Amino acid sequence: MSSEPTVTTQPRRMAALHRRRHHWPWWHWFVGAILVLLFLFPFYWVIVTSLNSPNQVLQFPPLFLPHWQWINYVQAWTAAPWLRYFANTLFIAGLTTLLVLVTSLLAGFAFGMMEFPGKQILFAGFLAIMMIPTTVLLIPDYILLRDIHWLNTYWAQIVPFGASVFGIFLLRQFFLSFPRELMEAAALDGASQGRFLWQIAMPMAKPALITIALYVFIGSWNAFLWPYIMTSSPSVQPIEVGLATFLGTNGTDWTGLSAAVVFTTLPVMILFLVAQRQFLAGAYAATGSVKG
Amino acid sequence: MIGDSRRRRFIPYLYLTPAGLIFLIFTILPAAFVLYISFFNWDFLNSAMSTYVGLGNYRNLLTSSEFWHSLLVSLYFVIGTVPVGLFLALIIALALMKNFPGRAFVRLSVFSPYVTPVVATSIVWIWIFNPQFGLLNGILHGLHLPQLGWLESPHWAMIGVIIYTLWHSLGFDVIIFMAGLSAISHELTEAARIDGATRWQEFWAVTWPLLSPTTLFVLVVTTIGSMQAFTQFFTMTEGGPLSSTTTVSYLLYEMAFIFYRTGPAAALAVILFVIIAGLTALQMVITRRRTFYQ
Repeated sequence: MSSEPTVTTQPRRMAALHRRRHHWPWWHWFVGAILVLLFLFPFYWVIVTSLNSPNQVLQFPPLFLPHWQWINYVQAWTAAPWLRYFANTLFIAGLTTLLVLVTSLLAGFAFGMMEFPGKQILFAGFLAIMMIPTTVLLIPDYILLRDIHWLNTYWAQIVPFGASVFGIFLLRQFFLSFPRELMEAAALDGASQGRFLWQIAMPMAKPALITIALYVFIGSWNAFLWPYIMTSSPSVQPIEVGLATFLGTNGTDWTGLSAAVVFTTLPVMILFLVAQRQFLAGAYAATGSVKG
Repeated sequence: MIGDSRRRRFIPYLYLTPAGLIFLIFTILPAAFVLYISFFNWDFLNSAMSTYVGLGNYRNLLTSSEFWHSLLVSLYFVIGTVPVGLFLALIIALALMKNFPGRAFVRLSVFSPYVTPVVATSIVWIWIFNPQFGLLNGILHGLHLPQLGWLESPHWAMIGVIIYTLWHSLGFDVIIFMAGLSAISHELTEAARIDGATRWQEFWAVTWPLLSPTTLFVLVVTTIGSMQAFTQFFTMTEGGPLSSTTTVSYLLYEMAFIFYRTGPAAALAVILFVIIAGLTALQMVITRRRTFYQ
């Protein structure tokens, strides 16, 4: 989306304006420290719990430092088919992301660059899809997937999520502000629409595509209710369903559970830290609507 | 040549087909189907055995105490997460608009829980809330305060889930408020200050009114999110104890996939849809002018 970079640079510009006055009252530091403590402490706590022995975590007063019981990780890792869950999740999240990128690029291109009868109505219809929550669709989609023999398959977890209103909206915004001259020049050079989309527009849409890909990938990684209902065997289940199963069977093994939480969440956190800028840009883009 | 131009006219629709088909098959038609099911005493295993009951499912639902109870529970959750979350997110966003060293790190910390899987991080909080060995009761004990049953107590379970949900989702609202705040012209607030307005007056007379589109957006988006929330209830309380955390969404899951009361569950789904669609339509009307026709 074109407005994305401008939105993200705004706070920085404001910060530059503010910097004229060099006073940072003590309470800013204090509030900042409290916020960091409140929001990050659970992460620290689960790591500490995962590295102490089962007896140590039941001590009172609680131990606030880890005692490096790596054995917890070994035990948790061997207690469930985690590798299988990881592979399933990567496959499902990867394919879903790819599918969303393709469908969003095509539809966003049509809505943003082409003129055709019924365009406004169709676009409004696409936006209206957002009104239908997944919870409401569980029953009919379960029956549908059962009748086409897709229950307990990868496809049941990929295809229904292969199109995204957020993705289409973001790419439409991108194409609306796309320089028309570029497209005309490409047409004069004899490039087909398809080639234009693939070779010229797509590289330029990269920031928007990356934002969409990150959110779809994380959403797919974090999915729970849908795969929990639509699948029954670990051979196709994603990581969060595996973790919920592990919680069901090892509900009081706090050290093992904590270890499992750490190693199943680590990939998401690494992705988030590496691409934090794009994640924040995506959150800003979601408010494209209120920016005006 | 004629054939070519006719083909050309179809091309835009061709571009819309992949996304359109997915929406049609997995969203639009199932939405119509769930409405259809809601008029039947639906046989889950053999749909041919289903019998038409008209509005019977709705009548039973609207006269049952479990439906009204779940609506109250959802309302409790929405009040605990939405107005409280809005207030906290706005305060944090205002604090983070001031530039101070480490600000970016604080913002990142506040946002980070939002990207974590709910199953995983709710497990961390189940452990923190553990009545015997949990950290929270440990702290209460250290402060010589009475210890609480948290997720095992009908009075405190919902508060526990609300605390977790605020921790998980507040960061998103904070980022949106920060975007809204940075879009407010600096000259206006500066002018107010030159005119002798106090910080407090400046906020209420300038910032708050200009921020209202953002506030409404956050309000509607978080209300919809809270109405749909499911996973944390599944892992943390399973709707209990004594159905004190059985929200509309959780009741829907129970009816449909534990008790296989498909018809009544479909009717409940339709009611949930009406509530959420109403909220979304409200949000679209509010934001439409500023977005879609730029």
